[in-house]
Amino acid sequence: MLVLVGSVIALIVVVAASLALGVRTIDPAEVWQALVAPDLADPDQAVVVQLRIPRTVIGIAAGIALGLAGTLIQGVTRNPIADPGLLGINAGASLAVVLCISLLGVTAPLGFIWFAFAGATAAAAVVFAIGGAQPVRLALVGAALTALLTPLIALVLLRDTEAFNQYRFWAVGSLTGRDLSTVAALWPFLAVGVVLAAALAHRLNLLALGDDVASALGQRVAVTRGVAGLALVLLCGTAVAFAGPIALIGLVVPHAARRLVGSDYRWITALALVLGPIMLLSADVIGRLVVPNAELEAGVVAAFLGAPVLIAIARSRRVAGL
Amino acid sequence: MTADVRIARAGEPVDAVGIGAVRRADRRRRVAVVVIGAGLAVAVALAALSFGAAGVTPDRVLAVILGGGDRLDRFVVLDLRLPRIVAALVVGVAFALAGAVFQSTLRNPLASPDILGVSAGASLGAVWAILGLGAGGAIVAGFAFGGGLVVAVVIWLAAWRQGLHGVRFVLVGVGMAYLCGSTVAWLLARAEVREAQTALHWTVGSVADVRGDELWLLVVGTAACGGVLAFLGRVLRPLALGDDHARALGVRADAARVALLVVAVALVALATSVAGPIAFVALIAPAVARRLVGRGGAAIAASAAVGGVLTLGADVAGQFAIPGFTAPLGIVTGVIGAPYLLWLLSRTERSRA
Repeated sequence: MLVLVGSVIALIVVVAASLALGVRTIDPAEVWQALVAPDLADPDQAVVVQLRIPRTVIGIAAGIALGLAGTLIQGVTRNPIADPGLLGINAGASLAVVLCISLLGVTAPLGFIWFAFAGATAAAAVVFAIGGAQPVRLALVGAALTALLTPLIALVLLRDTEAFNQYRFWAVGSLTGRDLSTVAALWPFLAVGVVLAAALAHRLNLLALGDDVASALGQRVAVTRGVAGLALVLLCGTAVAFAGPIALIGLVVPHAARRLVGSDYRWITALALVLGPIMLLSADVIGRLVVPNAELEAGVVAAFLGAPVLIAIARSRRVAGL
Repeated sequence: MTADVRIARAGEPVDAVGIGAVRRADRRRRVAVVVIGAGLAVAVALAALSFGAAGVTPDRVLAVILGGGDRLDRFVVLDLRLPRIVAALVVGVAFALAGAVFQSTLRNPLASPDILGVSAGASLGAVWAILGLGAGGAIVAGFAFGGGLVVAVVIWLAAWRQGLHGVRFVLVGVGMAYLCGSTVAWLLARAEVREAQTALHWTVGSVADVRGDELWLLVVGTAACGGVLAFLGRVLRPLALGDDHARALGVRADAARVALLVVAVALVALATSVAGPIAFVALIAPAVARRLVGRGGAAIAASAAVGGVLTLGADVAGQFAIPGFTAPLGIVTGVIGAPYLLWLLSRTERSRA
């Protein structure tokens, strides 16, 4: 409980930092003014309202989706290295985006979201259709699908310089260049995904004991996996549509949560809901500050933030228990 | 992981004679997979020697192989076509061996250099050399080799804690893979678009230009590593059962794992520096080989056979399958190998996974 409260406080601090810090130095009083009674004629307040609030909201939404998706995948596949990237879902979204740029000539990130969402959904559907209810097989099918789609992406990009030029900025993973209409369009999917994930937490606990034990205790394992698959499709699809393929957050968050609250998936899920946004927003804020007068994309910073955390977790004694 | 499942399944009552019969059938199947794979590789290689723009007929190819033929034919077959075929074959064998070792020593079917960051480290080294230093050729290969090794050492140091625990190694490896992958994406996004495309081309991987010293290095290095693996191969099956079982069978689990992984990393770094990170061969070939062989753990030799056939076939397909359209090896391996693996996965009985 203490951990959860502490995390919520940390999230509030990070959100405040995300609103207050950036390339343009803005007085905290101005930020507050922009929140309660925005005056768009004032350039500082306009920056807060038009740039920082949208990217903070998108960061929270994408962070929630990534954290929960990672938790679900690891719970369902019982594989500690499962995450949206490994299940072929990012590859599916990437291929859809590449095709939409190359064939349809779409250039604005806002134009990508439905393609990213559709690609992620299709990939997840294929993985679950072939992988079925078997953890090892599910993970292998995901990896095989990634192995199939990644070369296709490269093939298009090597032949179409213009598409590569557009795609490479999307592929880094970033919270900028989207506005709140993205959130307005996609929030129902995210909401359903979150509700399903929360409802599954208890079932994942039984699943962690193994399929045989879970079914002996009266759980219908296939149903659990099916519902989890649906939730995963929604969560991964929204995450990649919001922020592009962001690595490591979906992998690190469940491990960090497990480290903090033990192996009960009800607590892990609750904590992942908070840790995901904390990590993604911190990455975004750090990216604004490390390079003077420029920004590093959140995707790069998230990787540099996540890898040491992952290594620290991996080195701790409790890692073997999943 | 896989081994435990299989043994649990084979749990029907068996007497000593029964076990003997099962083991003999098992060995026959392994040998069959290797022999068929090798035969297929030779057949594809011979066919590939006769394909190409120069239009050398099969009988003239045969004459060249037997030591005859005129000078032009000899040049086309031995100096132009043979190096590429050998390179494709050996690269596939090297990646497949490395993948099989990774997967069985770490007991995770996803453990492969693609997913554990060794390939990503090599890519990062090469992309940095191309975009940051404006380098080409041997310097890029050197940076790729260095990048792969550095990442392997970092994974090692970070994962080592009173021995090398499988889960820990795999977790750290995945973290490093994403770290390097994100950095590559970022470097590509910052660079001038044409140069970035050159770098992207390297990260796909190709054997079109592997010849001369590079090829010799690849062949000799792979053969040497393969020899060491054949020597160490005895310990792989006990290791796949878990550390405790392996120890009980007299295997020094940590020492064996370290030795095996060193060889595997050397194979990956060598093959990647020569040909680029030919994607997912190390993941696909052992997974396919395990399913062809049936029960049992590592299937090292079968993996090597599958890997060689896969890359050679993919390279030939990439050059000749669609007239007027060529694709580098790294693209075709995934497009051919992954659907085959998916098909195998979809038809193996559910309980076996």
